[in-house]
Amino acid sequence: MIDALPLAVTLPLIGAFAVTVSPLHARGLGLMAAVLTVASALSVTATVWSDGVLRADLGGWGVPLGIALEADGLSAAFLAMANTVALAVSVYAGGYFKQESARHFWPLWLLLWSALNGLFLAADLFNLYVTLELLGLSAAALGAITGTREAVAANLRYLLVGLLGSMSYLLGVSLVYAAYGVLDIGLVAEAIEPGPIAWTAMTLMIGGLILKAALFPMHFWLPPAHANAPAPVSAALSALVVKAAFYLALRLWLDVFAPVLNEAAANLLGILGAAAVVWGSWRALRAERLKLLAAYSTVAQMGYLFIAFPLLAATPPGLARDNLLAAVVLLALTHGFAKAGFFLAAGMVQKTAGHDRIDDLGGAAQALPAATFAIGLAGVALIGLPPSGTFLAKWVMLEQAMILGLWWWLVVMMVGTLLAAAYIFRVLSRAFNREPTPYRFVNDARTELPALLLGLIATFGLGIAAQPLWVLLEQGAFG
Amino acid sequence: MIRPLEHILIPLGLLAVGGLLGWSFFLAVTGDAGERLAPIALARVPDSGVSNPVTSVLLNFRAYDTLLEFAVLLAALLGIWSLGSSGTGFQPAASVLDGMVAGFVPLLILSAGYMLWVGAYAPGGAFQAGALLGSAGVMLALAGHRNAGLPSEGRLRILVGLGVFVCALTGLLLMLFGDGFLTYPAGFAKWLILTIETAATLAIGATLAAAYLGGRPAAHPTTGETA
Repeated sequence: MIDALPLAVTLPLIGAFAVTVSPLHARGLGLMAAVLTVASALSVTATVWSDGVLRADLGGWGVPLGIALEADGLSAAFLAMANTVALAVSVYAGGYFKQESARHFWPLWLLLWSALNGLFLAADLFNLYVTLELLGLSAAALGAITGTREAVAANLRYLLVGLLGSMSYLLGVSLVYAAYGVLDIGLVAEAIEPGPIAWTAMTLMIGGLILKAALFPMHFWLPPAHANAPAPVSAALSALVVKAAFYLALRLWLDVFAPVLNEAAANLLGILGAAAVVWGSWRALRAERLKLLAAYSTVAQMGYLFIAFPLLAATPPGLARDNLLAAVVLLALTHGFAKAGFFLAAGMVQKTAGHDRIDDLGGAAQALPAATFAIGLAGVALIGLPPSGTFLAKWVMLEQAMILGLWWWLVVMMVGTLLAAAYIFRVLSRAFNREPTPYRFVNDARTELPALLLGLIATFGLGIAAQPLWVLLEQGAFG
Repeated sequence: MIRPLEHILIPLGLLAVGGLLGWSFFLAVTGDAGERLAPIALARVPDSGVSNPVTSVLLNFRAYDTLLEFAVLLAALLGIWSLGSSGTGFQPAASVLDGMVAGFVPLLILSAGYMLWVGAYAPGGAFQAGALLGSAGVMLALAGHRNAGLPSEGRLRILVGLGVFVCALTGLLLMLFGDGFLTYPAGFAKWLILTIETAATLAIGATLAAAYLGGRPAAHPTTGETA
């Protein structure tokens, strides 16, 4: 019997052991583990797509005693995005890291990947905590892999903030367990009742997660940590790791705390999201370095995702709410592809030019056409121009905000979009200020093509072909 | 001088948060919950292959959690290693400490073996046994053994990953040829748990000792004996 759910978590673990044991063959073994992991994860998504919700009772005990893994439409969508991006990052890293840093990168990277897949598939609140720990620890270690003073300091702060977030989450879980005696998400959702216990647990758990998701004003740790990491690591941190915290917050919001929600909590998340959009975009516009710009842009983009909470809370169940939810997921997925592509291309620019100061990028477009094109494509998706997935997602969100009469969210999203256009065009305008000279379009296939493909998926793939996502999200696990 | 923010507002705020948490916790434990997990788990302990309830939860009912915990330990050590090699260590101990260490280290290793075995029916198990092995390594490091008695880097890399590897491989093999991931067949549970725990004890012990060194082990240990 082959069950793809545990495979998606254990294959990268076995891979991590293999690259730990034979560091000399880290790249080959790592890429092999990456391909196998992607195959198992995509087969999970394909099965959910065709047959509906997948569930595996590990150990054969069943809930409430054992732990279950579960894939519904929401997890399958995030799983597919994370694994595609992770494969692109792996191919890129194969060319980026040389012998000494490669032997440190691969084991930690596969452990991080295993934690991501475990988090997207987990159906148990305590098991989610373990995946959060593994994710936070391996992410901070990867961010500090260059060993420079700034990177170590930024990632030590990231580690401590992450631990605080996990502890807060764990405190919430223990409160839920003390009150209801179960840990499986489905069983907790059945047992939970409005009251001080549920509200405190929700505050602790979602509070811990927004710390990890870098929602304003808890974003302070993100820009230095993401900007000082090596390019493939920045791509994974910005596109996947913060997205995992958002996924979990959304999952808890929709499936666990649905009966106890109130609009005040949703509005608070929305207001913080709005502040993140404006502040993050403004700091991105003022950033002097390309990677710092991308990091602040992540702060802003995470803000959009949290603006969805008040909209979701105000929309009655039905087609409009399903559309809104699909739009939010589409926004998160598009940002994952676009930001990963952006960071990978920025890394290429930094490696070629020897720096990533935006003002001195003159001629980058001529020297590195493919990387600049990837930045442009990712930029289109970050701004939300058609035909990107972001355009479609923002359109649905704006429309719903107008129908509900909540016009202020509309203003924030428009301001954020304008600022995003400004910071993207600032980069592109600097890249084109030299006489065109005939260079090759692709200079280093292994590093430029993954970035380019991610940009293409974000701009064309998810925009023009977003329909499957709606079908996939109909596979809800809990109703 | 009393600064209102630091001396009044922040303590009061923390007190309020603490009070709220305490109140919620009080409500949670005094409230009328349905059937809790502990009685369900205790009732199934006889089917788990071991009679110690803690071991049956850690290695059988929730063995998947434990697999990821092994991965957390591995990630922590790899993170330490990625930051550079260990320092020069302590100077060699004088004869009294050296003699004491020479006596204690074998005892600790023996106790670790006992802890591992006793975990099946009494408090003990892989984590406790691993902690004892790790402390043997720490003792050697304190007495001036440069690599805390750990083997060469090549073998050490196998040792520290052993917990993850054996547990994950057992799970996968049981999935391919048995009833499901980490689903122990009847009658084999005890031996499979013991296999995983043995691998985990070695991995945890080696990881803790290597983490104490604070960096990648030196390439050519000046004093090389295995713990």
